[in-house]
Amino acid sequence: MNVTAKTYQKGEIPGVIAIEASTCKGCDACKRHCPTGAITGMFGATHSINVDLCLSCGQCLINCPFGAPYETSDTVDEVIAKLKDPKVTVVGIIAPAVRVAIGEDFGLPVGSLVTGKLYGSMKKAGFEILDNNFTADLTIMEEGTEFISRARHAVFGEKNEHGGEIGPLPQFTSCCPAWVRLVETKYPTLIPNLSSAKSPQQMAGTVAKTYGTKVWKKSAENIYTVGIMPCTAKKLEASRPEFISAYEYNKKNHSAASKPYPDIDTVLTTRDLSRLLKKLKIDLAKEQEVEGGTLLADYSGAGTIFGNTGGVMEAAVRTAYAVITGEELQPLEFKKVRGLKGVKSASVTIKDSKYNKEVTLNLAVVHNISENIKPVIDEVLAGRSPYHFIEVMNCPGGCINGGGQPICGNGSSWLGAVRPWFAWA
Amino acid sequence: MQSEKMILKHPLNVRIFHYLLILSFLPLAVTGLILYFKPLSEASMNLTMQIHVVAGVVLTIDAIGFLLIGFDRVVLFTKRVFNISINDFKWFLVLGGYPQKILLKKKIAVPPMAKYNSGQKLFGVCVLIGGTVLIFSGWILWAFPHLVPRQTVALLGLLHTFFAWVLTLFLLVHLFLGVYMFDDFKAMILHGKIPYDESKEMSPLWVEKEIVPLSDKAA
Amino acid sequence: MENKKYQYIENPLHVTRREFITISGIVVAFLALPAVWIKTLTSANNNYIQARTKGLYQDDEKAAVRVSHANKSVTRYYKEFGDKPLGHLSEELLHTKYINRTKGIS
Repeated sequence: MNVTAKTYQKGEIPGVIAIEASTCKGCDACKRHCPTGAITGMFGATHSINVDLCLSCGQCLINCPFGAPYETSDTVDEVIAKLKDPKVTVVGIIAPAVRVAIGEDFGLPVGSLVTGKLYGSMKKAGFEILDNNFTADLTIMEEGTEFISRARHAVFGEKNEHGGEIGPLPQFTSCCPAWVRLVETKYPTLIPNLSSAKSPQQMAGTVAKTYGTKVWKKSAENIYTVGIMPCTAKKLEASRPEFISAYEYNKKNHSAASKPYPDIDTVLTTRDLSRLLKKLKIDLAKEQEVEGGTLLADYSGAGTIFGNTGGVMEAAVRTAYAVITGEELQPLEFKKVRGLKGVKSASVTIKDSKYNKEVTLNLAVVHNISENIKPVIDEVLAGRSPYHFIEVMNCPGGCINGGGQPICGNGSSWLGAVRPWFAWA
Repeated sequence: MQSEKMILKHPLNVRIFHYLLILSFLPLAVTGLILYFKPLSEASMNLTMQIHVVAGVVLTIDAIGFLLIGFDRVVLFTKRVFNISINDFKWFLVLGGYPQKILLKKKIAVPPMAKYNSGQKLFGVCVLIGGTVLIFSGWILWAFPHLVPRQTVALLGLLHTFFAWVLTLFLLVHLFLGVYMFDDFKAMILHGKIPYDESKEMSPLWVEKEIVPLSDKAA
Repeated sequence: MENKKYQYIENPLHVTRREFITISGIVVAFLALPAVWIKTLTSANNNYIQARTKGLYQDDEKAAVRVSHANKSVTRYYKEFGDKPLGHLSEELLHTKYINRTKGIS
């Protein structure tokens, strides 16, 4: 842990990822995957992570051939203790990307969709299920409405109902905590462009400890929320001290003063959850498929594609189109924003039914930000960006290839040209 | 000027290949050991790695160059080192008579050898296979560790370490015996020639079956 | 350095034509096969990303509801508790502010 870390608020986890010096061979492979050049150490010498530059994205971790980077935050045993505690209701908040990767840790083929077995395994372990795809749908409602409000303000001069400020275009998605941290540490002038919507994980934590108390009929103090994420940066996100919205709301409304509790108590990566299940001798591959159980596990197809690059954009377009035009998007598949190309763009010309005018929305999708984000940001900073709405995901391919996913030995995250990179200094 | 009869054992292209091997492999072995044990400071480890890489490039050019220019010698060498018989097994049982010669000053009977004795053939096999693996894996580890699948890079790293140790340790034996057998030392390092009578004793099968008198043809 | 005085050389015909071709073939194969092996592996190195991507699009295709605004549970959430998107309660619970962290970076 870096005691001189300067870009972290009190309570945040500085240095989610660290490098084991004795394992590191100084081969520089990690540096090529790092979006911020946060890895220090000359070629041939052991490397270490500058936590002030690090986004905690974990790309170095999943790509290092020798397994030198590791996570410094491991709460598997803490979660097991909570699962065994009869007074505590442990809520597992499952990200979309987890369900197509966790099977790999149990011998199933890469990419197997194992939602039902995952629910079954987690319920056997004692979790209540809150599917983050449900909150992804919620995020679309919030962020989509926000985008429509910003767009109608920019195009038609529409004002906010409560007279509040409306953010500028282009609007950037804000569900990727590595991307958010990149903006906060390197491009703070773009902060107003970030959607004010929380990430689905954080919305889920808040919902679980407010609305969720009615669903599970438990008090908020006894609900322990666990993010099950494909992402190491989510561990950092959950530790942000301002994310105690449920506690503040409950305090205001019930006057039962208690110690502050975070919206998300802890985060387990997909790998962490696999270890937890194995510790409890639960074999996911052999579990029967079960349903989620409550409305908080009810999700749409738009919510589940959040894990892919382009998925958030496609989900947003499906809803924004319907809200603006009053009709459903046909066909629902918005293929222009799918695929592994670094920057994908699409234009949608639709008739705004409220103002009876045609508008053209220019959309962009960026992933693998270490290779692709700079020109997009430079355009926005220069005021020359042609886009109105930009989805950004740090990881190549999106969250399905996140730093917390099962490590695929016969793969690499490199999406760039097949060219040599001659390390030297 | 020698008055004795001489055999051309190592033509010039072979010797040039070997000079470059010495110039590249010795730094590779030394820097390789440093990289393995990591005893130095950051800047020194970086310099070590840079030397290792440059020497590796020289080794690669030397190997590919000789493969192209001296392909017939490569084929000849390959044929020789993989030609194994019961004599090789018997040679190893007495370690070629070297410990006895060096430590006990005693000469013992040794099975008849061709151009390369059994130990040299084993070293030759290690160099052919190990050298190829080291060069191949070395390039991947230097230039492509970010895009070759990670378990493959890990495997190549393991193979690189394994063959590096094999060749480095075997090299010590090669260096010692290569100097100790002083006529052979002069043949490879200086002029390429070895006395006929010396060869008849150390490599009788070679002299009997492969050596022909130089006719009016110029060398 | 090179004293051209030597009387014997190696017989160049020691390797027969057949042997030469066989050994050449083995040498070339030994060198080419690793290159082919690496090329094959590397061209497949993004397959796992594509497999997982496909899995999620399949989850979408088989879903009964495929747009967020038609998710009845989301509607229920707003009706029973959340009020409406971008409303006051949403601002309080589901929206956030960000932090300028540049002061700390060297």
